Amino acid sequence: MTTTDDSPETESLHYVADVDEITDGDRVIVDVEGREIAVFNVDGAFHALSNYCIHQGGPACEGLISGSLEVDDEMELTYDSTNKVVSCPWHGWEFEIESGEHLAPTDYRLPTYRVVVQDGAVYLDSY
Amino acid sequence: MGKQTTQTETVTSLEHLETVVDSDFHLSEQQDDFLSYLPSPFHDMLFHESRDIPMGYLKDFYPTAGLLTPVATGNVEMNKVRSQADIIEGKDLLNVDRAIVTPTLNLYLGGVHHDDLAAALAHAYNEWVLDEIYNPDEGIYGPVVVAPQKPQEAAAEIEDRAGEDGIVSVFIPSGGVHPPLGNEQYFPIYAAAENAGLPVQLHSASGTQMLSFPLQFHGSNRYLSNHAPTHAMVHMTHLTDMITRGVPVRFPDLDIVFQEAGLGWVPYMTRRLDNEYSEKRSDAPMLEKMPSEYVDDQFYFTSQPVEGAKDPDYIGPIVGLMGPDNLMFSSDYPHLDFDHSDYLFSALRSNFESSDVANVYGQTALEIYDF
Repeated sequence: MTTTDDSPETESLHYVADVDEITDGDRVIVDVEGREIAVFNVDGAFHALSNYCIHQGGPACEGLISGSLEVDDEMELTYDSTNKVVSCPWHGWEFEIESGEHLAPTDYRLPTYRVVVQDGAVYLDSY
Repeated sequence: MGKQTTQTETVTSLEHLETVVDSDFHLSEQQDDFLSYLPSPFHDMLFHESRDIPMGYLKDFYPTAGLLTPVATGNVEMNKVRSQADIIEGKDLLNVDRAIVTPTLNLYLGGVHHDDLAAALAHAYNEWVLDEIYNPDEGIYGPVVVAPQKPQEAAAEIEDRAGEDGIVSVFIPSGGVHPPLGNEQYFPIYAAAENAGLPVQLHSASGTQMLSFPLQFHGSNRYLSNHAPTHAMVHMTHLTDMITRGVPVRFPDLDIVFQEAGLGWVPYMTRRLDNEYSEKRSDAPMLEKMPSEYVDDQFYFTSQPVEGAKDPDYIGPIVGLMGPDNLMFSSDYPHLDFDHSDYLFSALRSNFESSDVANVYGQTALEIYDF
């Protein structure tokens, strides 16, 4: 989630990139204390996920960013073209970028991290 | 069998194992890799410019069912494995010491219609891997790939290649192979493998299997070879298709009963479906639960013919895994493989609560059927 905080605890913030370096539909991956974390821009909002797939440890955030195939009320196929899903390139497990939730109806989710936007830069708030 | 087992030690890390062998590590070969090795006359006929077809024109000779895969949609990014360096990179990723390297495109070799071309493609593939890929010094091994369409040529291929550096087995691309591989026409392959001291690996490919699946039953010309797999295979096919196409979602009050295929295929198939659905969700986007949950809620299975009833290590766990609430007693009387009602009962009574046994033997049926 993105927050704009007037008085963040700056020592807990990890610089990721300038806002304009992460364009809509793109991501950057940074190393924070030995953990790889991906920060995505979805429709102007920034979201951060762990780059470690809960399935078999693949680089979950390095794969395809896409919409998703769904069904409408008539059970007809329909494509939601918002680029809000990332697929782990190892096995194709799909995760909703905003929540980290596995799209298949399971309890699996990737850990999410708080993002702070401040003075034109994007930061990860370690806690 | 040279297996070594140690009763007193527990392994805590792969690092503690002396040798890790990966028995199925794939190349992602393309025509440019092995086309130049094609023997005559196909070399003369086919070795020319690719005519601007990016994946190569050779792919047209390997029939597939045209399935939309996660690789095609980009959800899976399969690494390129076309060189020793690529293999070493993969081995390092997986922490394996020795890889038995198998084909990808040539998994479809068993479906190639032109039998002489199939044999030539197998020959070319073997030339390529022996020339450029297999390297025991790097832990890279592999099979002699044979085309089952031409058993005599396959046997010759085995005899010629056995003993070459890196050859550890014989590989039959088994998807779509018709008639089934018990037919005597394939005996030369087995004789050659046995004489060479090489095991035979079978590896299917779903896109090929779909092309000849019904036909194969014409070639299954013994009652045993037909009856033993058929009931479970047919049910696996229908159950999977019903879930994939959303039958239990569309008809949430419908109960579905699968009969006469025994027990063990159910826990196998539900787990396999859950595992694959997570990787191919877009093939069944209407599902609101995992496939196994639909099975738990709406699918029922009748018991006969119960396999392994006399093996307490099997029957208790397997009934627990597939039910017991989804299992309903059936006899199949008077058919030749009927189960007496005492047969399963004896196996269940020591493993399950009386309420579970009562459910299997009638209470579940009273709820499901419209008595």
